[in-house]
Amino acid sequence: MSYKPDEATLISYLYGELDAKESEKVIQYFQQYPEALKQFHEMANTLNVMRTVEDKEVIAPTIFVGQDTGSPFWQSSYFKMSMSIAASFLLIIAAGKLSGLEVSYSSGELRISFGNKQAIQREIIQPTNLLTQNQVQEMIDASLTTNNSVIAANWTETQKKLDKSIKNSLAVNSQKIDDLMKNTSHASEEQVRGFVSSLQADNLRLMKDYMQLSSKEQKQYVETLLVDFSSYLKEQRNQDLQLFQTRMTSIEKNTVQFKQETEQILASIISSGSKSKNTY
Amino acid sequence: MQTDALVGRAREGDKNAQGRLVKLWYKRIYNFNYKFFFDHDLAMEVSQKTFIAMHKNIGGLQEVSRFKSWLYTISVNFCREELRKKKSNKSLSLNDLRPGEGEDSYRWEESGNRGENPDRQLRHTELSDLLQSCLMELSDEQREVVIMKEYEGLKFREIAEALNISENTVKSRMYYGLDGLKRILERRNITKETIGYEL
Repeated sequence: MSYKPDEATLISYLYGELDAKESEKVIQYFQQYPEALKQFHEMANTLNVMRTVEDKEVIAPTIFVGQDTGSPFWQSSYFKMSMSIAASFLLIIAAGKLSGLEVSYSSGELRISFGNKQAIQREIIQPTNLLTQNQVQEMIDASLTTNNSVIAANWTETQKKLDKSIKNSLAVNSQKIDDLMKNTSHASEEQVRGFVSSLQADNLRLMKDYMQLSSKEQKQYVETLLVDFSSYLKEQRNQDLQLFQTRMTSIEKNTVQFKQETEQILASIISSGSKSKNTY
Repeated sequence: MQTDALVGRAREGDKNAQGRLVKLWYKRIYNFNYKFFFDHDLAMEVSQKTFIAMHKNIGGLQEVSRFKSWLYTISVNFCREELRKKKSNKSLSLNDLRPGEGEDSYRWEESGNRGENPDRQLRHTELSDLLQSCLMELSDEQREVVIMKEYEGLKFREIAEALNISENTVKSRMYYGLDGLKRILERRNITKETIGYEL
């Protein structure tokens, strides 16, 4: 059984306000669920207990209600409220006027001020002598001319210094070379011979080393060359043999084919000859 | 039936009928307010406001049969207003400062029919107050519905009209209100047997 009475149904049943059909359903539900019936009885008992609260005796006081003659509109709450709001605004305006309140907003600046507006002295620097465009151009030209002349003077001076420095340097170097030549000329014959012999010995040793190294390398190179040549010959021979074999195979194939064709031709000729003979 | 006739006359401006309606319904409205606030002074204040509002607006009542739920609507609205004020402005009754005991208590003064059996009457009043304090533990919405149904005897339809909600919502609030009261009574160990012993 899926029926379960809701709170409203149970209360209606408690006060006997449920119709017979619904009451029967509730009774059947209680028969199936004794726990629900117990709860229902507890609720009814609660009601019985609460019913012991008695009424208080009270004597109705005499209520006097004056004649409602209709109060004038200025005594109505709406009028009073609107008048009070208007009076508040008036008061604020008057206070603002007396205190010299000024509220202004311009270019993102909110200004609230009291009293007379005081002029703010701002120092503005006025240009005294204004230059014309031609004057400025002349000034620029003059400045450029001066600058160019200064640069040219500096350049000439630097050039002169540079020439002088080169001349000095050349003079010093030639002097050193002359000194060196003088020293050389003053060297003895023995010293020269010793120097030359030492040069010859060095050259000889170098040549020997070179030749020795060169012969070794040449030998290695020739060996390598021979080995490479022999392998080349071997490879070439193999390739030639393969080529020859391929040619021979080709010739053989051609010969066989030629032979077959010849046989076919002969066979066709023979067969055609026999056919003509039979017709005659 | 008597109410309907009086409402009909009161709508036409009959002051006498309005006065009689006040006498007829004052106790009910006062008790509703008292159970809602558990405070005599607040209940008196809200009751008077309710009947003043009734006097001013009864001319605009469309259906005579809806007078009962209309009156409770006014009362509930004033109750909610007072509750909001009370939450923002905490105040305490002088009676609560010095409640006293026995014949010195203000509850003794308030209890009626003292000549009959004063001791029994006092115990009854104390029990009522105890149960009333249990009622105060419910949420405002549940308390409104429980009082209207259980103590004022309004039909679910009338409660729904007074509170401007659906009947099912009323029943649902009633169910959870009773469930809450059951738990509160269990917690305070108040049963039918203990009440019988007290009385």
